[in-house]
Amino acid sequence: MPLFKVENLTYYYPGTEKPALKNISLEIREGEFLLVTGGSGSGKSTLARVLAGLIPDFYGGRIGGKVFFRGREIRTLDRRKLAREVGMVFQDPEKQIVQSCVEAEIAFGLENLGLPPDEMSRRVAEVVSFMNLSPVQQAFTASLSGGQKQKLALASVLAMQPRVLILDEPTSQLDPVSAEEILNVVKRLNEEMGFTVIMVEQRLERCFHLADRVLLMAGGEIICHGSAAEGAREAVRRGLPFVPPVARFFACLNSPVVPVTVKEGRELLQSYLKGNIAVTKPDVPRRNHNSNIKRAEKNSIISLKNVWFGYPGGQEVLKDISLDIKEGEFVAILGENGAGKSTLLKIMVGLLRPGRGRVYVQGKEVGRNGFKEIRKFTAYLSQNPNDYLFQETVEDELLFTMRNFGLKDRGQVDEILHRLQLEPYRRRNPRDLSSGERQRVALASVLVTGPGLIILDEPTRGVDLGLKSELGHFLQEEAAKGKTVIVVTHDVEFAAEFAGRVVMMFAGRIVADGEKHAVLGRSVFYSPQISKLCRGICDGVLTFAEAQEQLGPLLAAKPAVLIKSTGEKAIWGRAGGCTPH
Amino acid sequence: MFNRLFYREKGLFLQSFHPATVLVYLLVLLILSLIYDHPLYLLALFLLLALLIREVDGLDAWEGFLKAGVFLMLVVMMVNPLVIRAGKTIIWHGPAVPFLGKLDISMEAIYFGAASSLRLLVIISIFCLYNLMINPDRVLNLFSRVAGKSVLVITLATRLFPTMVRDLQRIREVQQLRGVDFDTGSLWQRAKKYSGLYNVLLLSSLEDAMEIAESMQARAFGSGRRSVYSRNILRPRDLFCLGGSLLALSAAVWGLRYGYGRYSFYPEADFLIKDGTTLAVLFIVLFYLSVPLILSKGWKHCRFLKSKI
Repeated sequence: MPLFKVENLTYYYPGTEKPALKNISLEIREGEFLLVTGGSGSGKSTLARVLAGLIPDFYGGRIGGKVFFRGREIRTLDRRKLAREVGMVFQDPEKQIVQSCVEAEIAFGLENLGLPPDEMSRRVAEVVSFMNLSPVQQAFTASLSGGQKQKLALASVLAMQPRVLILDEPTSQLDPVSAEEILNVVKRLNEEMGFTVIMVEQRLERCFHLADRVLLMAGGEIICHGSAAEGAREAVRRGLPFVPPVARFFACLNSPVVPVTVKEGRELLQSYLKGNIAVTKPDVPRRNHNSNIKRAEKNSIISLKNVWFGYPGGQEVLKDISLDIKEGEFVAILGENGAGKSTLLKIMVGLLRPGRGRVYVQGKEVGRNGFKEIRKFTAYLSQNPNDYLFQETVEDELLFTMRNFGLKDRGQVDEILHRLQLEPYRRRNPRDLSSGERQRVALASVLVTGPGLIILDEPTRGVDLGLKSELGHFLQEEAAKGKTVIVVTHDVEFAAEFAGRVVMMFAGRIVADGEKHAVLGRSVFYSPQISKLCRGICDGVLTFAEAQEQLGPLLAAKPAVLIKSTGEKAIWGRAGGCTPH
Repeated sequence: MFNRLFYREKGLFLQSFHPATVLVYLLVLLILSLIYDHPLYLLALFLLLALLIREVDGLDAWEGFLKAGVFLMLVVMMVNPLVIRAGKTIIWHGPAVPFLGKLDISMEAIYFGAASSLRLLVIISIFCLYNLMINPDRVLNLFSRVAGKSVLVITLATRLFPTMVRDLQRIREVQQLRGVDFDTGSLWQRAKKYSGLYNVLLLSSLEDAMEIAESMQARAFGSGRRSVYSRNILRPRDLFCLGGSLLALSAAVWGLRYGYGRYSFYPEADFLIKDGTTLAVLFIVLFYLSVPLILSKGWKHCRFLKSKI
């Protein structure tokens, strides 16, 4: 008997006429690791909530079809009983913690189940130990880092000892290191402890290989479910971006085997290119030389000279930062949490004044009034797009900024709405839009003044691969027009694909700065999956398009391998998903 | 910057008491600070509190609390001699002032003002010690059994407060960069600008509240009768401390019945030390109140005591 059985499930959120889920039929076995992926609004989170019993109980709305859990219809199950069997961890750790103390938070679910004190103590102790939370057991939840908070959220669910663990994008708000930690725990829970795991996720390069089965959703429907390799092929066939780069590379090759990890990918590539290894040398110096000549000719937009900064009563956050960013550059600033990236951005936009050192914007030193002197020239998008949204309509949101700066040309509003594909939502309340659309509205609200400098803090956090790609292309276009784009991100794949220059920060210092190939191509840990795949085989490759360009001819020269494997010669770019995302 | 004023887990002995014990102990200190008039008794309480605060590594925080108290202290010390006419030893004949009459400053009024200020500092120090010694979450946990839902609401508010302060700062920065100047314009214009700021915060908080509620529902909140997870352990140290507190209170009440701890400032101030019993009673009360301090020292320096408490 399957653990979950879903039959013809259709669901409408209250007040909507478009179904969030359409005719879903699905079975999930006990002990399975099911990865659910798809774009924003594809219905994946809704499906997770149905399986957790939150829809329609918590959300209301209309539901059709049936969902069975261990043979019994889920809606007939007592809520307490269901919570003992199915646990759910949500996307944002900040929004699922109830208590102010770590230990109390872990016990919260147990108290709700009405368990006796001895049982609660035992379970709390076990979970604290398993999740390695002992050092922070007595700490205030507010003082934890994002990664620790998500670990705590997971721990508080695990304490309830469910059979099934449903995770809705549990790593989307975390930095890569914390995300890895959460995924490792989930892997252990599935492999060593037999938990059934249903994970909704967008960071596929880290979890695709963990899944027994991948479920690809679009428009409220399941468009593909099968093994990871089958999922990759189907996504590529449909031109969808929801495939990790290595799998997409080989799926585009029509390779009979679609590897899902870098290790498998490298083995396969080496077997294809036997005798042709290390065929190319990195051309980083040439690229570097050319870009340096071009850079030198351009005007400096932001220049930081020996900048030091420390918060009152805190440690030094920025240490002797010198950075010169030119007109038309697209710069990605990478680094771990606490490296000082966001503080650096605030210094650049004049929200903070350096303790020592000087900051020049467009050749003028930023004075006492800081942000007031440069804000008309600068668009700054913070980590949370919701911080920008409070007007009745999307259009009003843009007009608010224009009014503040005394601008009257409404043509700018039309233009920016058009460019960010927001025209259909002009009269809609921004709070009624999806997260991706909200981000575009927030971006429009700061771009409407026509700034020359665009600064974004973690714009890819929680954004699906399709929207991320759209954003990347938009920013590239802006840079091509001569605007300067600076993005702080943890997303190495995004930086490698779209930025031209990469700055790496560590503990308040810049440890690497240069053309992206020079910085990311040499890094082992801060390099995109494609670069890891090609290292030592075809150095200097960072992006999917570069891999196609460099390896395509080599693989075409070895037709025997592919013909033998697939029965036909692979043709690059034949499938829709083979264009770079 | 205000972090040092609030509770921080430092793993200190004085932070390991059961919250009920700490509440009783501090309540006794508060009662004594209110019922004692004798400057010597108040001074002794102040010194005891100073030692306790030092023991919880809180001199920094105490400084913060005292800074706030000094202003009030100066007000009391200045106003009292101006309005009180009961003192006999006049040290300055001032001019006649409308409403207040003739300004005769007496030594007794200054003395009373100083003693009242000392009482104020003692009370402030008690609250400082509360902040340093006791995890507010544990206090709430103590009341979970009798008022579960109210406690949960308070806990949620406590939990969300720092987040909201942080959010507000971020939203303010965002609006400043969108051209809003919070420090310019008429009062009405400024109020309008701030209303926009709080509007964003309110909208986001409402959305966040839905997500928190969903997470609570997923963890079976409201699915039936709840139990209470108590993280508080009662140890021998708590019994010693509770015993000490009750004995100190009893001794103080006994003393007060016979006038030890009372003090009259007007028309002429009493002797500071009337007789030996004044000191004996003070010593006994102080000894019982010093139990946590003695235990803390014993915990550090006496292995035998450490193993027993």
